[in-house]
Amino acid sequence: MIVAVVLGLYALSGAVALPRLLVRGDWAERAPRLAIAMWHAACASVLTSAVLAVLAAAIPASVVGHGIADLLEACAALLSDGAAVTPTGLVIAAASGGLVGGRLAYCAAVVLLKAKRERREHAEMLCLLGKHDSALGAVVLDHIEPIAYCLPGGKGKMVITTGALRSLPPEEVAAVLAHEQAHLQGRHHLVVAAGEILSRAFPYVPLFRRARSETARLIELQADDVAARRHARIHIASALVRLATGRVPAFSMGMGGENALTRVRRMLGPETPLNRHERLATVAAVGLLLAGPAAVALTPGVSAFLAHHCHELLPR
Amino acid sequence: MVRGLGDLESVVMDRMWSYRRPASVRDVLEDLRQERQIAYTTVMTVMDNLHKKGLLRRKQISRAYVYEAIASKEAYTAELMRTTLANGGNQAATLVHFLERLSPEEAEALEAALQVYPPRGRRS
Repeated sequence: MIVAVVLGLYALSGAVALPRLLVRGDWAERAPRLAIAMWHAACASVLTSAVLAVLAAAIPASVVGHGIADLLEACAALLSDGAAVTPTGLVIAAASGGLVGGRLAYCAAVVLLKAKRERREHAEMLCLLGKHDSALGAVVLDHIEPIAYCLPGGKGKMVITTGALRSLPPEEVAAVLAHEQAHLQGRHHLVVAAGEILSRAFPYVPLFRRARSETARLIELQADDVAARRHARIHIASALVRLATGRVPAFSMGMGGENALTRVRRMLGPETPLNRHERLATVAAVGLLLAGPAAVALTPGVSAFLAHHCHELLPR
Repeated sequence: MVRGLGDLESVVMDRMWSYRRPASVRDVLEDLRQERQIAYTTVMTVMDNLHKKGLLRRKQISRAYVYEAIASKEAYTAELMRTTLANGGNQAATLVHFLERLSPEEAEALEAALQVYPPRGRRS
């Protein structure tokens, strides 16, 4: 029961406190890829501990007392003769796990299918409206506003408007397209989809909401970093400014201009990667987030399991 | 090179947009035949598809349909960009960024940040 309470309290407090903790400092901007992993680990951690808390509470004390051996036995019995053995605890546990899993799967299907349909429709229109430029490796759209983006799925397509080609010198066009290529190769649309799925499946959870907006922001920084491996940082910064300011502000975007500012400042300054200690600490935190809930949940079980076996091994 | 029907659709739409007037399947066929071998039924199928997709409207004059583009290419492009941007940036479907709307102050700050950068450091 203690385990259930600990896990439950962790899930609740983590859902509220983790987002506040993770946005502290500038480490995320210095290591965007690690930061994305950290957000995903935090979400997985809270989600699994919530499920495990219910599991720990629902499985009767006797089962926990006899340890994993009994649990496995019960599961085996349940599988081989489902109708006969139905301890209420196991049913509740399976139902709660299934509920969370089912909700996630349902939302994943909705988000991914919608994205797939939208991408197909978008690609069809691009086919009619755009022209593939093999020198650029991108689809060129005849449009006055300077816009560059990518359409994932399959091999993915990079799209750039004639407005962007007119307002950017060739080296900046190359830098922008390298940024897009980084999105496609990094499969960043899956990061965005994961954020969308979680916040749709469990709305009102501060952690999931924040994870969604933060990861959407961090993939941009990550793509900038990848582009900066081959292109001068100043070209990326300059292209960003031109693309962000040269547009008629006719649309209200979800995100403000803060991220554009962050990105330009980052690209204007030199690279500031995490040092070895900071990196190790971050990786350790990711590991702890992922392994922690399972470790807590298994502690009584494992000790009971060991005690059980030791007891059997001991000569009478 | 024209590969599938999708590519043909774009060729036919380009013709329709360039005419700026209604045209029959026969008109488009004769136009296309100046460059390639193509069957009447192929062009008819493609134009029928484009009609079903809502890109061409048609009306029957005597026995044949006369087709016309519903909107200009520019209008379609503008609409595609509008819907893409209206989704609010990064979506699972398209990764659109570089487009956060800036307030005039933010735009100024960006320009200023770029100006401050020492020109010596600009590799080009």
